[in-house]
Amino acid sequence: MASIKDLTEFVIQADIEKVKETTAALLAAGEDPLKIINEGLIPGINEVGERFKEGNLFVPEMMMSAQAMKAGVDLAKEKIEGADIPNAGTIVIGTVAGDLHDIGKNLVSMMLDSSGFNVVDLGVDVPADKFIAAVKEHKPSIVGLSALLTTTMPAMKEVIDALKESNLRDQVKVVIGGAPVSQAYADEIGADGYAPDAALAVELCKKIA
Amino acid sequence: MEKLISNYSEQVTPQLKWVTDAQLEQIHYATLEVLERTGIVVKNKEALKLLKDAGCRVEGEHVWIQPWLVEECLRLAPKRISVANRLGERVMPLEKNRVYYGTGSDLPFTIDLETNERRTSTKQDVVDASRVVDALPNFDFLMSHAIASDTNPDVSDLHQFEAMTLNCSKPIIFTAHNAENTEAIIQMAAACVGGVEKLKANPYIILYSEPISPLVHTHDGVGKMYKCFEYNIPVVYTPGVLAGGTTPVTKAGCITLMNAEALAGVVIAQLKKKGAPIIIGGGATPMDMKTTTTLYGAPETYMNYGIMTQLAQFYGLPNFTEAGCVNAPVPDVQAGAEAAVTILMTQLEGCNLVHDVGYLEGGKTGYLPFLAICDELISMARYSGAGTRISRDHLAVDCIHEVGPGGNYMAHPHTFKYFREEIWSPRFFNRYHWEQWLGKDKETPMDKAVKEVKRILAEHQAAALPEGAAEEMQRIIRQREEEIRS
Ligand code: B1M
Repeated sequence: MASIKDLTEFVIQADIEKVKETTAALLAAGEDPLKIINEGLIPGINEVGERFKEGNLFVPEMMMSAQAMKAGVDLAKEKIEGADIPNAGTIVIGTVAGDLHDIGKNLVSMMLDSSGFNVVDLGVDVPADKFIAAVKEHKPSIVGLSALLTTTMPAMKEVIDALKESNLRDQVKVVIGGAPVSQAYADEIGADGYAPDAALAVELCKKIA
Repeated sequence: MEKLISNYSEQVTPQLKWVTDAQLEQIHYATLEVLERTGIVVKNKEALKLLKDAGCRVEGEHVWIQPWLVEECLRLAPKRISVANRLGERVMPLEKNRVYYGTGSDLPFTIDLETNERRTSTKQDVVDASRVVDALPNFDFLMSHAIASDTNPDVSDLHQFEAMTLNCSKPIIFTAHNAENTEAIIQMAAACVGGVEKLKANPYIILYSEPISPLVHTHDGVGKMYKCFEYNIPVVYTPGVLAGGTTPVTKAGCITLMNAEALAGVVIAQLKKKGAPIIIGGGATPMDMKTTTTLYGAPETYMNYGIMTQLAQFYGLPNFTEAGCVNAPVPDVQAGAEAAVTILMTQLEGCNLVHDVGYLEGGKTGYLPFLAICDELISMARYSGAGTRISRDHLAVDCIHEVGPGGNYMAHPHTFKYFREEIWSPRFFNRYHWEQWLGKDKETPMDKAVKEVKRILAEHQAAALPEGAAEEMQRIIRQREEEIRS
């Protein structure tokens, strides 16, 4: 029978069927579902993330690996009664008001999701008050803001100001990104971090969550 | 007189076709299926109502368009759009196979001409780019190149337009935030040509608006377009995609989706106003699956444009494509290669409006001397596109006979007569013998381009505006600022 170590390899190979088969077999043999997730599935997706960052893997391969991992996690979850599924933290993310660009934001969301974050994606053209409402509701450790237009960058600052006004600023870390955004701009508006691409965004979120 | 030759056929200019008519039909049918089966989302209320009134099935914002309506609207859309410059001269008729080159808009970053550092773009960068485009002979139209980041974001589009039209009299393709700002820009343009009626008769501005892939038509995107049609201002309505992200990754799938969005735009336009001047196409860029950047200088992009252009020609509608727009972050050998290939291809294909010329870093960074280098590449492409003359005099048999075996042609009148048109002369590219080049301090094409740009910025003045127009534009900007504030 395939082992937990094989599971890691199947996630890397993005082989959904084998991940499902192996997870089911391991569960049937009485293996601890948490161990399957933490020692089999997660190490696989972490390795995939590393390889992508190094430029040795392509986006669609990474996405398929994420789906493979998810398929395994879903099966294992059914066997975990009541216990909390481990996650790396909650992040509320969105493209700020006036801005309709979402490809980069979606990529960041999907990568965070497959890295174990609980992602609440508010979509595009998201006004500050919607971010505030989502922070109150989901109690995230991170708020992620994306802007692709110079004209909508000030809306990032508006979200930070609104967080301050609602006395929520010290409960969350704010991470920003998007084509015209820079570390200097992050410093200027008092964000906690900036990431130039999706892989670095995951790294940053893991660090500060 | 030369006697006519029977059964003679002549190809005056070379032709580049990517697919056959039968393949275009297949793409067209696939497009019609997407529109009638998958349908589109329309977030503009007026357009939604027009589509419903025209008999489309509508559920909420979801609309399905029947093939007959698409065909009907294709028939209504103008096959030819006349575009003037700011001086009222009809310099840019958009007709099948007439090719025009221009810059792109809104680059967030600029490599500074003095410091060579990459920094945030400002209104002054738009001013400088406009003057450079006004002076470069092979640029036919202007888009803002840079973005005016240092102006009030609510009206930065108005500032960009002011900077452009003050400093360049060539036709302008502008971007705008929404319908209200579009109206303001139209009024600014009217002030520059002596009133709205004159602008309507000879528009010198074109709006660039877009649907959002896959298959979404936004409130503002359509609203801006409708505003323009009220004034007979032509509109480019083309999606900007990332194949593999917002469209299928296959080239044919990407083209089909973009075409569905463009044809939906044609329907939305013609239902608003019969004969509304709409320009179709689609930014046919894939996503780089390693870095996630937008691939502008890649083979897939120009392969897609080859077909997008043929499709527009198949419909007989003016189209919008791009070339000279590169992924290289700086104007290096990669930039030159990417720009040269794409510019030549668009020339040979007969695309109408070829924009984004001179974009670096996949549309994020600009450097003015690269525009001058691209001007040279356009000159080269136009020269090649003009084709090879085959006539009795060009075949030169008399001349060959006169010189005879073993002679030379350097002092022959035939050489003197033709050398200028038969051998292209660059402005910036080097053709020296090594020692000659040392004598020129190893000057590179880019060194020369930098000099030329600096000369233009020091000396060139665009044609003046009518009296009071500059003040009127400023008044409109202030008024719009106040409207937004209150
Ligand atoms: C939370 O933490 C984080 C951390 C990291 C984060 C992050 C958040 N968000 C992003 N990142 C980072 O990680 C991502 C993955 O690695 C990266 O995300 P990116 O988004 O950078 O990368 C994506 C994976 C791929 N890249 C993209 O998706 C953007 C590509 C370009 C070409 C682009 C596209 C595709 C589009 N556009 Co627009 N567009 C351009 C872009 C030029 C460019 N080369 O960037 C840009 C951004 N657009 C621009 C403009 C002007 C516009 N666009 C507009 C529209 C569109 C389309 C709809 C056609 C389409 C968007 C489709 C969509 N669904 O998103 C208009 C605005 C609409 C609006 N209100 O939002 C319009 C105004 C044009 C018009 N005619 O009206 C320019 C912005 C200039 C500026 N600084 O203001 C622009 C730079 C192109 C240009 N030179 O003109 C990183 O930035």
